[in-house]
Amino acid sequence: MNKKRYRIILIIVSAVLILSAAVTVAKRDKAAVLEFGVFAGSNWDVANANSYVIIDKAIERFEAEHDNVKIHYYSGILKEDYSEWFSQQVLLGRTPDIFMILSNDMNQLASLGVMKDLSELINRDSNFDKEAYYPAALLSGEYNGIQYALPYETVPTLMFVNKSLLQKEGIAVPDIDWTWQDLYNISEKVTKDIDGDGILDEFGTYNYDWLDAAHTNGTLLFDENDMEINLSNNKVIQAVKFTKQLYDLNQGRKVTQEDFDSGNVAFMPLPFSDYRTYKTYPYKIKKYLKFKWDCITLPAGENGGNISEVNTLLMGISDKTENEILAWEFLKLLTYDKDIQMDIFRFSQGASVLKEVTGSKEAEVILQEYMEESEKVIDNELLSRVIEQGTVAPQILKYKEAIALATSEIQGIIENNKNIDSALKILQRKINQYLKQ
Amino acid sequence: MHDRKLIYFKVLMIVINLIAVLFVTIFIYVTTQKICDNFIAREFINNVVSLPWNPFRNILLSIGFFCILIASFIIREIICPGSSKVIYLSLLIDLVISISIVYILNFNYNGILFLVIANVITYAKGTRGRYVLMIFAVASIFIADYELIAINFRLYSINDYISYYDSVTQQYLLGFFNTVVSVNITAFIIFCIYVIQNQLGTINEVNTLYAQLSKANDDLQAANEQLKEYSMITEKMGETKERNRLAREIHDTLGHTLTGISAGIDACLATIDCSVQDTRRQLEIISEVTREGIKEVRRSVNQLRPDALERLNLESAIHKMIHEIESMANTNVLFESEVTNLKFDADEEDAIYRVIQEGLTNAIRHGKATRIWVQIRRSEEEIILTIKDNGVGCKTMKKGFGTRHIIERIEMLNGRVEFEGTNGFTVTVRIPIRWGEEYD
Repeated sequence: MNKKRYRIILIIVSAVLILSAAVTVAKRDKAAVLEFGVFAGSNWDVANANSYVIIDKAIERFEAEHDNVKIHYYSGILKEDYSEWFSQQVLLGRTPDIFMILSNDMNQLASLGVMKDLSELINRDSNFDKEAYYPAALLSGEYNGIQYALPYETVPTLMFVNKSLLQKEGIAVPDIDWTWQDLYNISEKVTKDIDGDGILDEFGTYNYDWLDAAHTNGTLLFDENDMEINLSNNKVIQAVKFTKQLYDLNQGRKVTQEDFDSGNVAFMPLPFSDYRTYKTYPYKIKKYLKFKWDCITLPAGENGGNISEVNTLLMGISDKTENEILAWEFLKLLTYDKDIQMDIFRFSQGASVLKEVTGSKEAEVILQEYMEESEKVIDNELLSRVIEQGTVAPQILKYKEAIALATSEIQGIIENNKNIDSALKILQRKINQYLKQ
Repeated sequence: MHDRKLIYFKVLMIVINLIAVLFVTIFIYVTTQKICDNFIAREFINNVVSLPWNPFRNILLSIGFFCILIASFIIREIICPGSSKVIYLSLLIDLVISISIVYILNFNYNGILFLVIANVITYAKGTRGRYVLMIFAVASIFIADYELIAINFRLYSINDYISYYDSVTQQYLLGFFNTVVSVNITAFIIFCIYVIQNQLGTINEVNTLYAQLSKANDDLQAANEQLKEYSMITEKMGETKERNRLAREIHDTLGHTLTGISAGIDACLATIDCSVQDTRRQLEIISEVTREGIKEVRRSVNQLRPDALERLNLESAIHKMIHEIESMANTNVLFESEVTNLKFDADEEDAIYRVIQEGLTNAIRHGKATRIWVQIRRSEEEIILTIKDNGVGCKTMKKGFGTRHIIERIEMLNGRVEFEGTNGFTVTVRIPIRWGEEYD
């Protein structure tokens, strides 16, 4: 009787063992497939005909270098659908092994634990040096001090200059280390009624808001430890007051995109990607046709420099990936390989996140290649400097919402001529309450 | 503990837990599908702190884990009931599996740990290992609380998924889930009460048996007392009988002889003046009667002597007694006598025999002696009897019935008795040698 029992137990145990062994063997024989989450089109909301060129090239290279490894991605997911698509994959437990991260999603995904903490992989890999990246670009992949993602492509904000307008008014294009005062002086000169109908129709700035001013005035808006916004310090007050001065120049007339497109506005903050897209063929014919234009840095405030926000497209690895090493290798290929990163200049609209690539002669040559000969190519040094010094959106879960709230409220303060100091204090309390919810 | 009802209870608890676990996993899976179908995944993600690893895999995993739980249950309760190794191993497996299930459910449901505790309680008759299991299981219930763990760890919450639905559906879902949780806890409590009552029943049974035993014991003691009384009465009756016999004996022998002697002497007094011859004849008759009377008395006394002495001489009787005592108690008795041909008067022999008997008895009973030396010597005027043992002795003599008896007997013979309690126990008896008429 006892023997019979032992036999039954033995049979059950051995059946379980054989089954699990069979599963492991079956798994090993199959080629490893890395899922890659990627979207079509440009991260910078500009037209892009070459969405998958860089990725296909990288995949081809990777598969050639690694036997028995396939990389699979779903093509045709648009950028605007990507966030939803990716969220669904996460919900269904099908998170791709390696994936692009929209800047809006970074904080949420990191806090959900969807992304792998890369610190250990970075430390273990002797062929990898974090210093090769622009610090601002690298920083945007951090959450709570942990590196969850690596930068792939970066775009700084530049200042669009309507050269034709300035020429007409007899004003020289400002230097790259120009100041608020310069911006105000030029704006004051160009703001006028040309057709004599009593309404202003030429303006200094369009879309230049308090946040641009705050960035260039050395402000740290958020305290990441306390999760609080700081709007009542002197630098922010200066920035808002400066924004109000510029607003007051327009005497209440709202500057529109139409004004800008018709060539009646001197300055507008513009992402580097827009500059590249609309400066080159074929998209050159779509926008800003009526005038000559170029990009320079943003003007510096009293306490800051000629810096701007740097926007970075990130890539991360799934926390649940079964092919950690392969995923890391592929992530490295995309973000750390000089050849692939150089392709960003060839086929995309941003800039490489590697200092060496963006600062290289080759990059400059590529940029020049697509420009008309008469156009001045953007200075490599300027580009490097802007990225190098750029500020990064802080890693706060509700950052976007808080900034949107602040911007609309400050707009109200400026338009309604409220006392800036006290209004900002009230606003600060309001936003901090929101952040704590 | 092969109680059918207990097994049914456990099956019921397994079923309830299976329903709860499947509800959580399947519900999350279905809701996830709905969220994806409605393209609100991004919005949903915004409002949660964590997500299950893979909703579908969680269903498969929990079913798999339940299969192991059920297999362990079947092996423990049906295939190998009573084997303590199997019990411990399977309980340990249960605990690990349950914690795994709680883990993949991200602590949204921890009622399955009650199942483990229920099993541990059932087998609560074991040794230490069971306490360890019990502590583990109870501690895990406290630790595995969603609200507690969610403070420090990112956990997904079933409430996030429930909040996807409209408020009426939410109420139904929450109601159902909470009902399952409550039913599980209720089943567990009923189970506990049942086990406790079972154990109470056993205790009552033991108490009843104990009461019966006590009563039987009391009865036995009463019977014993009664027996003692009977034996005392019997003894008294024997004594009375013996006294009657003695009285009759004395009346028949001494009375008869003394009457004869008295009558004879009266006749002598009458005849002594007229006929010396007649008187002499008369006195001879009286002498004859007296001798006869002495013979009669001796015969009577002989009838009162101890059995052995009656049949044997003193030395043989002593040897016999020693032999009997040695064979009865684990004691070595050495007897030596300097007196050749031990032969004394009957009362002396009696006394010597009784003293030795009493001495040996005392040495064994009170002294716990293993060796006893008995010696009889003769000095010029005395017979000296010593009984010495290697027992515990005693500092202060307490005169019991036995020793008083010895003293009385010896004093009747004008002898002396000495007791000495250091270095074992020694009794020394001195009996003066009689000079004068020797009856043989």
